[in-house]
Amino acid sequence: MSMLFAEPSERPQLQLNKKLLLLNWPFVVLIVAIAIVGVASLYSVAGGSLEPWATRHILRLWIGLALIFAIVLVDLEIWMRVAYPFYFIVLFLLLLVPLIGVESGGAQRWLGFGEYSFQPSEIMKIALVLAIARYYQWLPPEKVWRPDAVLPPVLMIGVPTILALGQPDLGTAALFAIVGCGLLFLAGVSWFYFIGGVMGVIVVLPHVWEKLHDYQKERVLTLIDPDRDPLGSGYHILQSKIAIGSGGLTGKGFMHGTQAQLNFLPEKHTDFIFTMFAEEMGFIGAASLLALYLLVLLFITYMALRCRSTFPRLVAAGMGLCVFTYVFINVAMVTGLVPVVGVPLPLVSYGGTSMLTMMAGLGFVLNAYVNRATRIRREEYGPLW
Amino acid sequence: MKSRNFGPRLRRGVSWRTLLIGSASTTPRDQDKKLHNRFSRRALLIGAGQVGLFGLLTWRLRELQIQDSSEYRLLSDENRLSFQLVAPMRGTIYDRFGAEIAKDQENLRVIVVPVFCKNLATTLDAISTVAPVSSADRDRVLRAARRQNHYFPILVSEGLSWREFGLLNVLAPQLPGVQTDRASYRHYTEPRSVAHVVGYVGMAGKGEIDQDKVMRIPGFRIGKTGIEKGLDPELRGKPGSIQYEVDAHGRIVRKLGSTPSEPGRDVVLTLGRDMQAFALDRLAGYRRASLVALDVATGGVLIMVSNPSFDTNELAFKADPKIWTDLVKGSDEPLNNRAAAGLYPPGSTFKVVTALAGLTAGVIKPEEHIVCKGTYPFGGHIFHCWKPSGHGPIALHDAIKKSCDCYFYETVHRLGIDKLAVTGRALGLGQIYDCGLAGLKQGIMPDTAWKRATLDQPWYPGETISCGIGQGYVSATPLQLAVVVARIASGKSIVPSFLCSHANETQVPPAALSLDPGYLQMVRDGMSGVVNEEGGTATRSALKIPGVLMAGKTGTAQSFGKGATRQPTGWEAQPHSLFIAFAPVGAPRYAICCVVEHGGYGAQAAAPVVHDVMTELLQRDPASKPVFVADRQPGPAPAMADAGNAQ
Repeated sequence: MSMLFAEPSERPQLQLNKKLLLLNWPFVVLIVAIAIVGVASLYSVAGGSLEPWATRHILRLWIGLALIFAIVLVDLEIWMRVAYPFYFIVLFLLLLVPLIGVESGGAQRWLGFGEYSFQPSEIMKIALVLAIARYYQWLPPEKVWRPDAVLPPVLMIGVPTILALGQPDLGTAALFAIVGCGLLFLAGVSWFYFIGGVMGVIVVLPHVWEKLHDYQKERVLTLIDPDRDPLGSGYHILQSKIAIGSGGLTGKGFMHGTQAQLNFLPEKHTDFIFTMFAEEMGFIGAASLLALYLLVLLFITYMALRCRSTFPRLVAAGMGLCVFTYVFINVAMVTGLVPVVGVPLPLVSYGGTSMLTMMAGLGFVLNAYVNRATRIRREEYGPLW
Repeated sequence: MKSRNFGPRLRRGVSWRTLLIGSASTTPRDQDKKLHNRFSRRALLIGAGQVGLFGLLTWRLRELQIQDSSEYRLLSDENRLSFQLVAPMRGTIYDRFGAEIAKDQENLRVIVVPVFCKNLATTLDAISTVAPVSSADRDRVLRAARRQNHYFPILVSEGLSWREFGLLNVLAPQLPGVQTDRASYRHYTEPRSVAHVVGYVGMAGKGEIDQDKVMRIPGFRIGKTGIEKGLDPELRGKPGSIQYEVDAHGRIVRKLGSTPSEPGRDVVLTLGRDMQAFALDRLAGYRRASLVALDVATGGVLIMVSNPSFDTNELAFKADPKIWTDLVKGSDEPLNNRAAAGLYPPGSTFKVVTALAGLTAGVIKPEEHIVCKGTYPFGGHIFHCWKPSGHGPIALHDAIKKSCDCYFYETVHRLGIDKLAVTGRALGLGQIYDCGLAGLKQGIMPDTAWKRATLDQPWYPGETISCGIGQGYVSATPLQLAVVVARIASGKSIVPSFLCSHANETQVPPAALSLDPGYLQMVRDGMSGVVNEEGGTATRSALKIPGVLMAGKTGTAQSFGKGATRQPTGWEAQPHSLFIAFAPVGAPRYAICCVVEHGGYGAQAAAPVVHDVMTELLQRDPASKPVFVADRQPGPAPAMADAGNAQ
């Protein structure tokens, strides 16, 4: 293995105990703290009961922590080698969803294996970050600006985004686009591509719109603005705003949120859990939870900046973008700033795939941080393997 | 080839951009470092953007939770709090002796909420084992459960016995979705005899819904006719409320608090319940008849009955539409209160008014004899006396006693219609009394101005003659005729009233009539003669109580059925039979008017009824007994006080 690295000093062979020492332990504590907020919220949502959600959330927290350590302890090189195969496997699964997926709530997002089911689009977020980071680790710096070098990552982002739009899952599509574009930006792609891209969309979009059938337009409009269906999410978002607003400065008290406890809130244990938390804990509690998330993001940015090589740098920053997009869209959604798109609150919302994906993502951030001193030579890796 | 040409051109563009950033280094090492620096710059930029967007979220939270919090708190309370109005108990209506006429009774009901029932049909079967559920009720419940929201409670049956209610309460915990409930319904003790006066309650019609929030109680009933309508504001009371916390489905989570309802005020009527029943019973032999009895001293209505009557209980609670249509379409108009709203020509009973008017105007002297030849020619038309052979020379006393028509033709001819009308109105004709009872009719006391105003025609002298004996344009209700008798008997300007004056209320005695007491006495003597002297028209109806005499006046009114153009036949060909009376002659206490439609001449039908009712009244003597005072009796109602002062 050491022959892979021309300069051993730059690629120290880390021992297990060394890796654990290099781990950012305050960051792990922060993650566990947020997950415990989730456990408490799920306990309250169930009317003061560990069943049916809180116990499983705790279980997933343990599995998630194990996953983090597993990802940290696996060598960076292996992750670099599997980045592309992993991406294509997940892309294949994503392609399978419309064919053999399970439909639920008007959208086809799940793949079922026996009694278990999972959403490939959740795993795709990690696969996308790894694949783009892997691409720029390989790409010679002098080629970064070139259009033919920008095209592959754009395709890597575009295909899953379009697949997610087709499910239809606007939240996930937005997440792919935001995280992908953010990574291109961080990788050093010129401003002009972003400006040009935005302008191109502005120019092309009206023409595409003209060509759409009326029912297609209607479908897109409902996707963007669910208030067009006033008995559906319009009611939900109003109830969510009422719940948050009525919480006031100090909140109604743990397990005393009337909107949540009396079932006025929809999806109160998943997408709208922040609403319940804000109702019961008030502005102080909600702002504190946001501060915890911001602390996580700042930690991630700090860790990304400490990395010497492109791959860990982009992996850490990409996962950070992922966490940020989740939190922002979720909170903006429940406070009525953006349409309801069905994005969970990381580590707090109930849901197995999203919880484990998020933990895995954070595992990659920590893996990058552990390998912060590593200088990877791009010549060691081929374009694909 | 093309791409090669393409590259350098773009490269120039890029180098232009590179200049802009300020780095021109080209070695891979430098490129790497440059990208690293760019990453750091851009990562910090994105970090700053994230901080900014989190600031936006915090700002939004501040807006919702601090700025607009009170507004959202209201909305949240509106969501979770549910106010259920509790219907107040309606005030009880008592008769003058304290007997209950109308009272809210406990209505024990059983209710199901379909969503909580495992199986609605089996639940209904289970209820049936305790309290029988008719198949019609069963169909109604199942139909309602299919049609409406499953959380809405449905009434299964009401009016349960205490035994059934108790058993159901024991059973309810084993039957999810079954609830027992205590409401109230209006019960009338003697529904038929007081139906027209007291009226009944019913669901408010569209036009009757007012601002009172009590109207929001489903199934709330208000007074529809009679005293129930006239005194509805006093009787109604104020609703209470129960505050519940409900969940998003409207299910009650817990009770938070309640304010009790305020029951309506009680009302004590001047009527006597048993006397009403007696009078209605006495009228039962006639198809259409009515009777009013007044307390001569106060004007209090002691009896007011109209036949045919109806059962108010059937209309107030669990009303059957068929009963309603039968009542509305019934040939004898049972819903019509003939005593207060039936208009009749007063016939010969009106002669007491003509006599008083003639005496007051001085056109006749009590001793003056006018010759009755059986006919009275006037203006090319011959008016007849009821006695074709004529009464010969006749003076006032005998003219009243024998009801001589010609005497009064001559009197009214001398008098003129306008002077007759003045006296008629002084005695209470042609007006509506403000006595709290809805639906009174005004009647007609004609004069030249009235004819000009209503028919736009001059008054012809020939029309005056028939008015003198209560025919022609003259029309009055039995209540008005009773007031005429009461005023003649008492010499006071009494006004009918239905409410017993409250104990604390200082009573304003009615003003004296503007008529000479001597003339009034002459008319009273004449009326006494009608009943008690040889040759009187109603001697057969003289009282059989020793030492007590009744005075009266018969009336036989020619009347053809309403709007009938054809010659009436059979029953309808008979004239209306009227009789007005007061007793005892020396010190009048009670005044009565009875009208029997198509009952024949006055002494034939009405006078015997009055005899029986007057005997009953004198024996019971309600005016001498103290009136009942209810616990929650209202103070003097403004309308009542005005009525007392107006006269």
